[in-house]
Amino acid sequence: MVHVYNCHPFASQQIVQVGQEPGLVCCGGGALFVVATGGCKVESYSLEREGCPLICRFATMGTVKSIQHSKIGDYLVTIEEKNSATYLRAYTNWRYQAEEKSRVGVRLLGHLLRGASVGGGVQMEIIEIPLSERPVAVACCPITGDLLVGCENTLVLFTLKTQNQQNLSQQNLQSSWSSTQQNSSQGQTSSQHLSILDFERCVIFHLPKMTPKQVALCGGYVAVQAELEVLVLKLETVSELKTLEESSDTNKSADCVDEQIDFLLIPRHQELLGDRAKDCDLPVSIEKTGLEDRRQYSLSYVLFRRFSPEFFQGCSVEETQLHSLQLYPLYTSNQSVSADDPACMFCFFSLPTAGYLYSLKGGVEPLSTYQYPEKVLEAVLTDHLLHVITKSALQCFTVRCAAVAARIEDPYIDTTMRACPPGNLEVCALRMQLFIGLRSVCVYGRHVILLSTADTEVPDEPERSTQRRGLGRKWTMSSAKETSPAGHGWNIYVVDTVSPFTLYQEMDEYSQRYVETNPQAQSHRHLLSEAHLLLRASLVQMSRQQQDRGGEAAAPPQRDADGPPDNDCSAETTRQELDEAFRHNCALLGDSFSRGSQKDCHLALPYYRMSGLSITEIMSRNRPHPSSPHSFGPGFLFYLKHFLLEETDQTLSQEAADEIVHIFSQSEPSMLVSVCASPAMSHVSPDRTLQILQRLEDTASVSVPMTIAMATMVLRLDDLPQYTQLMERHAEMMLVYGFIEEPRLLLHGGGGGHNTHVRPTALSRQLASSQPGLLVAAMVALHENNKVQLEQADHLFKELSCANSLQVDFWEAMLMASSQDAVIQELLFRLSSVYIDRLTNSDTHSSLTQTTPRRRSLKSADDLISSCSHYGALYPWLTLLSAAHTTSPQHQEALHKLQSLLCGPSLSVGSVVPLLERLSEETMWGFSLHLLCTTRRGQYGSSIEKLLDRCPQAIIAFANHQLQDEHMPLWWQKLLPELCKRTRASPDNSILLAALKETLVVVAMEMSPAEFLELIPDDGAASYFLPHLMTCTQRHLLAN
Amino acid sequence: MTTKTSLLKVILLGDGGVGKSSIMNRYVTNKFDAHLFHTIGVEFLNKDLEVDGHQVTLQIWDTAGQERFRSLRTPFYRGSDCCLLTFSVDDNQSFLNLGNWKKEFIYYADVKEPEKFPFVVLGNKLDVTERQVSSEEAQQWCQENGDYPYYETSAKDATNVAVAFEEAVRRVLAMDERTDHLIPTDTVKLHRKPRSATTCCS
Ligand SMILES: Nc1nc2c(ncn2[C@@H]2O[C@H](COP(=O)(O)OP(=O)(O)O)[C@@H](O)[C@H]2O)c(=O)[nH]1
Ligand SMILES: [Mg+2]
Repeated sequence: MVHVYNCHPFASQQIVQVGQEPGLVCCGGGALFVVATGGCKVESYSLEREGCPLICRFATMGTVKSIQHSKIGDYLVTIEEKNSATYLRAYTNWRYQAEEKSRVGVRLLGHLLRGASVGGGVQMEIIEIPLSERPVAVACCPITGDLLVGCENTLVLFTLKTQNQQNLSQQNLQSSWSSTQQNSSQGQTSSQHLSILDFERCVIFHLPKMTPKQVALCGGYVAVQAELEVLVLKLETVSELKTLEESSDTNKSADCVDEQIDFLLIPRHQELLGDRAKDCDLPVSIEKTGLEDRRQYSLSYVLFRRFSPEFFQGCSVEETQLHSLQLYPLYTSNQSVSADDPACMFCFFSLPTAGYLYSLKGGVEPLSTYQYPEKVLEAVLTDHLLHVITKSALQCFTVRCAAVAARIEDPYIDTTMRACPPGNLEVCALRMQLFIGLRSVCVYGRHVILLSTADTEVPDEPERSTQRRGLGRKWTMSSAKETSPAGHGWNIYVVDTVSPFTLYQEMDEYSQRYVETNPQAQSHRHLLSEAHLLLRASLVQMSRQQQDRGGEAAAPPQRDADGPPDNDCSAETTRQELDEAFRHNCALLGDSFSRGSQKDCHLALPYYRMSGLSITEIMSRNRPHPSSPHSFGPGFLFYLKHFLLEETDQTLSQEAADEIVHIFSQSEPSMLVSVCASPAMSHVSPDRTLQILQRLEDTASVSVPMTIAMATMVLRLDDLPQYTQLMERHAEMMLVYGFIEEPRLLLHGGGGGHNTHVRPTALSRQLASSQPGLLVAAMVALHENNKVQLEQADHLFKELSCANSLQVDFWEAMLMASSQDAVIQELLFRLSSVYIDRLTNSDTHSSLTQTTPRRRSLKSADDLISSCSHYGALYPWLTLLSAAHTTSPQHQEALHKLQSLLCGPSLSVGSVVPLLERLSEETMWGFSLHLLCTTRRGQYGSSIEKLLDRCPQAIIAFANHQLQDEHMPLWWQKLLPELCKRTRASPDNSILLAALKETLVVVAMEMSPAEFLELIPDDGAASYFLPHLMTCTQRHLLAN
Repeated sequence: MTTKTSLLKVILLGDGGVGKSSIMNRYVTNKFDAHLFHTIGVEFLNKDLEVDGHQVTLQIWDTAGQERFRSLRTPFYRGSDCCLLTFSVDDNQSFLNLGNWKKEFIYYADVKEPEKFPFVVLGNKLDVTERQVSSEEAQQWCQENGDYPYYETSAKDATNVAVAFEEAVRRVLAMDERTDHLIPTDTVKLHRKPRSATTCCS
């Protein structure tokens, strides 16, 4: 369906004062070129100046049958006839033909011998381009200035070669005078084209089964159009080896297809996109012809479309012919002007009844089909409009190129961040303009140039009749020289289109009138989308222009002809205005989606985001009329939910927050708890919300998060009794589940991943003092359910300003719950250092001067030992070491926890050794820790020595516990000799003697009598050892 | 009512320095410049005129006479409707070369019936006192070669220049009325181009 909007795409119209009847018209480089019918004269008029004054007039060498302007190189290319022979020619430096009587140089392609015309100044030159076949159609690449010529069964590609004239002039004229002349003239006017052009034939495409009628060339894309077929190819340069194979391949395939010709097939309607286009039965092979061209080319199929003649009713078979083939590049706003590769490429072609637009880059896809109301003669695609002419009218359709460009430019489109109307949005027709006898149309920027002739004769009719009559020339008597401008039935109109922004403004007004009568209609949304795309087109256009202006000095000279495609928009509209309009339009689109049906309602979010409106503004836009029963749309609720669930820094005012609670209580009560938990809602009025929650609880069943939410409100009302009452309604475990369901009851922030800081809620603060165990358990549960990171939880406890207390309790609780090894190791280390800190702190200050009377830990050392596997039971010998000292209970607690960790299976002792170095060994508890460490690290020998030095009464307990299994030999290898040595030194030491005795008992149990004998020291009293030797021998005998 | 004008291509051939460019300038702009630059390759100018009631656009092609420019000028002989063979009356060698110019033209222009092709001979620099070629000699050459019209011109003082061009036009028109004098080929064939760089031109 084509929408028709009564918008005015045309601003003004003027008539070009042309002396002779125009036969052909083309435009480019700011100029309009008019070829007189059957004549050999081209007149160029300035499209950039008021009244389109004549720029110059020049003669052609033959009768022009076709003419094109190339913006790169500023040359014209013509197909001409003289004496029934057809020629292809390029006219360069035509702007220098100011006086008609100056000489025109002529040279053959490739015969670039002259430099600057010796006659002084730049001279117009014609390049004769010889061809072996008759040229039918030509096209110039708007990016490179290359030339594509369609002949009967071939396409010939010529590359444009430019030679800097300054270089040449220095070669040819060695006088320093002339070269400085050149320099200064170059500096004066940047619009002078000082490079000399030539062409080089580089590739021939052989299309044995296609008869080109029109061709197009743009950035490596080659399009050919026959009567009812369109083929788009892509020519790319590739590495040498690869193509050699490929090109021989294509030749082969071309050959074998040749063999099976002579089938008469009735053409079917066919559309083949991308690679599939190679399945069309049209073989193409390429032949490289460039002499110095070392590049290799490869060819790929991009698009094929075939229409069957009977496919379209309403047009006779003869009339059903394709026309207006166009390849159209579009640069996105973030592409630099010098980028040779446009971000988007479009292909357009047209039947009399319908036009077809395809996007070729990023996957070939059909974009729009234009159903014409009347038979269309010609069509021209531009950035934001498609212009078509029928016999009696000029009409515009909107195009979707901006939608494609936007998506290529911005990967966030089609996410919750940003949106853009779809590329396949139905096109619309704008107001048409009536004319009589339209013949042809061409477009330069905002100027649409129309040729009309009242007389119905087909323009090329005279030449046909000439051909039929052989060579008979039509002589005209001089007396018939009466071209009265008044009586002629032809005209050239220059119709100026309005800028996309102006058109946008009209659409915007139109939509406002429309919405008043019918706010829900799909057409209103279509209109807004249409306006949106016009704005995007303007934005692209504007940034291109800004770049154009910025890059002017650096631009290569041949780019100068590439005049601004549309210069009114920059003059009238500022970037600010455009951005403003864009936000306005996004807001309207947001409104449309927020109120619309369920379908696509999610688009309200990105459009509102792009509108820059605040949530309160959006809420007021969505406030229903007090009179209407109309409720809140799904899109609006979607937007609100996203806003409230996402982390924002914005805190809403009480009114706004209350309104949101009201909205959700009306539309989606199940969301109320999470709505209330949003940080943005912290100013919500607690009593009103409490009432609403209570009412909800009465109707629905009781839920834990709901109770907690209510408790939060009560807390804000400072009603502690009711708070306590509410919190006691559920077991702690249930409350923990409630927090897992809605973590934001406890903490805000942190939605953005690892490094975002979290803040405790008022409820958290309350819990920290009244139910710390619950808070810790909840945080552990959140961590274990991946709702919070360890660092974030740490941060939360720091915020609660009870560092080293609840935080440590949290770590201890985490150790109990966690099963992640990395987390466990981290926690073990942190806890060890905390315990060491506590020990050293209470060590330096006496326990009496301790400033903060510390809250008791949630878990005592005994609790941890009994419930947490990472805390080991204290080794029995440790009790003998700690008995001697008296410290504070906190100190004792820290010591036991640390000892327990050291006795446990998980702590890696190596990691805490550096921390322990801070502790002195002077105190017995300090010594005990160091001893634990050395023991845990397996240094039993030194442990035994140290223990004998500091606390020999513990040695047997130590040895009994530690020297087992593979360490058993240490009894006799280390302990026995040590004891013997020490008792010899102090024979009266009863502790040592007792230890020695105990040791001998163990040794006697473990060894053979012979071994035992070996161990007895030479100087020892035999009587002392004898009983043990006896025991040993007896045990041994019994065993045997 | 539109006016149909016919385009006639007239080419000036002759040795370098005989005054071809001066003749063209005199005819089109009615000026004479004693310090004209040498012509390089080929240039042309259009001039509208009326001969015997016929409206005609004369496309006058000026060429460089020097041997080294041969490859630049010969491709453009084709399609000529008339050839003006020019010499200078004060330069006998330029007169002797007329035959060579005629041969070169007929060869490269691919004229089907050379004996019927309209040549006009111009003896220029009539104003110079030291003549090397006499009127009689020139007239005789014209007679023997195909009864070509002969004009003695001076670009310097404008003698006979316009008359000569008008005669050229008349010759062409006369040819045209008599017969369809040549069957044109459909394409430009440039196979005699010495540097045949392209494969498609064979
Ligand atoms: N005296 C005289 N000098 C002439 C005449 N025509 C040309 N010249 C001079 O002859 C020289 C060569 O003329 P030019 O037109 O360049 O000869 P081209 O090489 O045949 O084009 C220039 O110095 C002219 O001034 C003429 O009719 N009379
Ligand atoms: Mg000359």
